[in-house]
Amino acid sequence: MFAAAISMLLHNPLRLFVTLAGLSCLFILSACQVGMLVGWCNTVSALVRHAGVDIWVVSPKTVAFDYGVPLPDIRIHQVRSVVGVEWAEGIYMDWSMWQRPDGKRISVEVVGLDDSSVGGPWQMRDGSVDNVHLPDAVIVDQAYLGPLGVSQVGEEFELSGYRVIVRGISEDVRTFTASPFVFTSLQQARRIDARYRDDEVTYVLARYKSGFDPIVVKQSLADEIPNAEVLTTDEFAQRTILYWMIETGVGLTAVITAILGMAVAAVVVSQTLYTLTQEHARDYATMLAIGFARLKLIGVVLIQSLVLATLSWILGTVAFAYVAGLTKGSAIPLEMTLGVYALLTAIHIGCCILASMLSVRSILTLDPAVVFRG
Amino acid sequence: MILRCENLTKYFGTAQSRQVVLESVSLDFRAGETCALLGPSGSGKTTLISIFGCLLSPCGGTVTINGKMVKYRSKGRLATIRRRQIGFVFQQSQLLPFLNVYDNLFFTGRNAGISSCELRSRIESLLERLGIQHLRTKRPNAASGGERQRVAVARALLHRPPILLADEPTAALDWENGRNVVELLVGVARSEQSLLITVTHDPRVANFFDRRLTMDSGRVFAP
Repeated sequence: MFAAAISMLLHNPLRLFVTLAGLSCLFILSACQVGMLVGWCNTVSALVRHAGVDIWVVSPKTVAFDYGVPLPDIRIHQVRSVVGVEWAEGIYMDWSMWQRPDGKRISVEVVGLDDSSVGGPWQMRDGSVDNVHLPDAVIVDQAYLGPLGVSQVGEEFELSGYRVIVRGISEDVRTFTASPFVFTSLQQARRIDARYRDDEVTYVLARYKSGFDPIVVKQSLADEIPNAEVLTTDEFAQRTILYWMIETGVGLTAVITAILGMAVAAVVVSQTLYTLTQEHARDYATMLAIGFARLKLIGVVLIQSLVLATLSWILGTVAFAYVAGLTKGSAIPLEMTLGVYALLTAIHIGCCILASMLSVRSILTLDPAVVFRG
Repeated sequence: MILRCENLTKYFGTAQSRQVVLESVSLDFRAGETCALLGPSGSGKTTLISIFGCLLSPCGGTVTINGKMVKYRSKGRLATIRRRQIGFVFQQSQLLPFLNVYDNLFFTGRNAGISSCELRSRIESLLERLGIQHLRTKRPNAASGGERQRVAVARALLHRPPILLADEPTAALDWENGRNVVELLVGVARSEQSLLITVTHDPRVANFFDRRLTMDSGRVFAP
């Protein structure tokens, strides 16, 4: 049965090639949209996830990492005093203006790091993360050297009117927005930003003491820290992702495009299989007449749709891996998780099988007696 | 009797515009018998062998194959009867164009429930007997009309059916090729003790058969 189904597909190689090319392109389109979405999700939450802490204490109703509201730094001490907390420090995050020597200004996201430099860049090309504590120091990422006008370590710029010196260059620390991250010390960040007082931070980061139940410690923090929300790293990362993907509509657009890709793929498979079934309607009628069960013939159609789905998936996967490799390190990288790709694959195959239903219907209504009508 | 029908009737259309195609047809056929069914277009020949072939259900009357009455309501049972007890030869051979000759036979034989081992030797013997060994790896469109009909005969005989039904098997062939196919069909049916019923328009073809039945306006007449 399998061999017959394949032979029927191969009977018109040109059409098979065109169908596979079309299906593969549509799978790539969907995979790229989803890959972009995954890449965005990873990018918007990267700093939160890479900080390596367990708890983020944030102002109530903070929508995302990028939109923090000042907290009094007394909260750091309050967090440290809770049983089960091993370590706590503050971090600053707000938007500012970067001025290049040629006078051009660019919006940046300034991250001020406390003594342990937690929440700083996780990968360095030049210098060390701890360089942020040097006088007037900042660290920028290599992906944004052009927009920031930086060519090497040691160059001077202005950040909100204050002189800063580039003391390090990080690698692959991207932002989702067009505003690059600029890392500096917590003290300098507060000095530069007139909206912040010297005793304010944006978030308090904390780590659990080993042997303590994280749920209990988190609840104790929530009970004992007033006017603040206590979130785990996963919760804060998820909140940030949801804000950017849903509130801004960016994620919805990517999902809709991916769904459209899948839908068009389903239509292409449906048309191809239906045309194939109609072309071979007389052969199917002959098979019915000589005693083939309808179920077997439906099996032929299902095998064909599965073969088309699998081959286009293989071609699409190879092409997607290549494109994803090309975008690695770019501002919009295509990334993927095993779970999401498995889901994408299941939807692709499901759509192809669903698309064969029109052909299945035509087989169910086929009259084998047509073979005697000349 | 291998095949028997009693008071077979078939009509198409509604009560107001009823077109009677078969009217009280009763016939008996024995194993190994060869029968030509003659008659003008629209006389009901194709409808009759479609009912014998379990492809069409009658409006009245009964059909008995090998002593068992055919239940036309059960589509699955009808497919089983066609698969096991009937061999078909169609006007246009109706081979599967996407499979070569050997695969056409193998695919059909496997569906009939013949084991791979038995099927291979059966195919070899039929290819040799019908003189078409050279077509083994060829696609049907690479064979001539006469050769294709020989392959169709081989396909119909694969599972040694007790009944062979042929619908104008020579219509698409010239006389020489047509005669060869009919001689072959009749010879094989006799040697395999199969009942052969062939619909034909050609009186020359009818001469090869033991029995000739003529149909007109849904009735059967024996000459």
